[in-house]
Amino acid sequence: MRDAFGHDVRLALGAIWKVLLVSVILGAGMPALFALSIRSLASGRLVIGRVAAGVLLLIVVYAVVSGLLFIIASGQGKDISFSHVVPQISTAS
Amino acid sequence: MLVLVVATALGFDFTNGFHDTGNAMATSIATGALKPRIAVALSAAMNLLGAFLSVAVALTVTNAVVKTFDSNATSAHAALTMSGDKLLSIVLAGLIGGIVWNLLTWLLGLPSSSSHALFGGLMGAAIAAIGWHGVNWVGDGSKLDGVVGKVLLPAVASPVVAAIVAGLGTWLIYRITRGVADRFTQSGFRWGQIGTASLVSLAHGTNDAQKTMGVITLALIATGHWDHLDSIPFWVKLVCAGAIALGTYLGGWRIIRTLGKGLVEIESPQGVAAEASSAAVILASSHMGFALSTTHVATGSILGTGLGRPGAQVRWGVAGRMVVGWLLTLPAAGIVGAVMWGIGNLFGLTGGSIVQVVILVAVAGYLFARSRRQPVGAHNVNDEWEADVTPRAVPTGAAA
Repeated sequence: MRDAFGHDVRLALGAIWKVLLVSVILGAGMPALFALSIRSLASGRLVIGRVAAGVLLLIVVYAVVSGLLFIIASGQGKDISFSHVVPQISTAS
Repeated sequence: MLVLVVATALGFDFTNGFHDTGNAMATSIATGALKPRIAVALSAAMNLLGAFLSVAVALTVTNAVVKTFDSNATSAHAALTMSGDKLLSIVLAGLIGGIVWNLLTWLLGLPSSSSHALFGGLMGAAIAAIGWHGVNWVGDGSKLDGVVGKVLLPAVASPVVAAIVAGLGTWLIYRITRGVADRFTQSGFRWGQIGTASLVSLAHGTNDAQKTMGVITLALIATGHWDHLDSIPFWVKLVCAGAIALGTYLGGWRIIRTLGKGLVEIESPQGVAAEASSAAVILASSHMGFALSTTHVATGSILGTGLGRPGAQVRWGVAGRMVVGWLLTLPAAGIVGAVMWGIGNLFGLTGGSIVQVVILVAVAGYLFARSRRQPVGAHNVNDEWEADVTPRAVPTGAAA
């Protein structure tokens, strides 16, 4: 019992670190990019500002769409891999 | 008996929906990015969509806390670890425990975890029916499982992780947009809010509706009405998706109010940071098989945005009440579940389940009647937060 408890705690700590890392990148990084794109829109430099805003927004949209695909794929019991820029959906192992 | 179990499960699904609307939409409503009615409608649509998108079978959902199901078995009926009747009585009592606790916390405006309420109810019923060993306390060491691995540890960790992420996100956003004219930030971040909140609602629909689908399918297998391990009857999916969406649409305004106005005063950029953090934490952890509660994540995120914005104030009294609510969820729902199982056992299988459902309806009616004394709805959900408007009853420090 105590041993199993220790296992659970160790497994959880391992998972928490990964969750924290990924969440900081996506959950704090994406809003920051979004804020940057709003800043460049508001910068007053019409062309450069808009191009920069567009590029940044595209990255955010890519992340959001990936998130959507992830929700759908896991809902269907599939695995999804982001190792090639375009997300790949495969049958869960 | 089966009809009662299915109806009660749908009732739970419904309370799950309206209990959790606030997780996704509280911030959008509080900042005015969406009108309250539109926000709950959007969230309901996303939940409905999410529930339909998910076809993965969540039959093992109850296994996290009660050993009900042997997933190595090949035929559906052989997979049950106890007799069908016993399983049904535990599930029914557990569901009632979950519903009662959900309604009570809703009355108090406390965002508590619906999954914990369900797990608590099931644990209580299982302890009463089988004994302490009926509960799956810890995992077998190979993966996170059992009460400790699937319920306790995530509950401690997920609000902290969410708060850190949201706090950092908020700080970055305010840092980056410092000096940018309000007209750019306001409209931009409102769109950001709508997008991120929709994402959270969708994730909620896929996760939470699936739990009820799993419970109902389990009941169908227990009574011999269904014998597939890898699919769910279509009508189950339909009614579950409908129940959670309807619940979401009716909106747990009391909880939305606590999350959107009570904890911290929220501005649009904070809303984006909070929902982005929630979405990221939920997705990242479900990818890693780390089961957590949407409620804990959303609450942690909102708290985090209060910490991350310079000059923002967090109402720690409100936060403290929530934490007390979380701590009580498992044992309180468990006690209700155990008592319900006991009552049911007294009257025999069929009679007992009828008595249980009658009690449930009476309690639900009473709690609803109480809620009418101080109604919270779309019209006043965003009113100024004052100590005397907050529903009291959990005696742990009044709201500041």
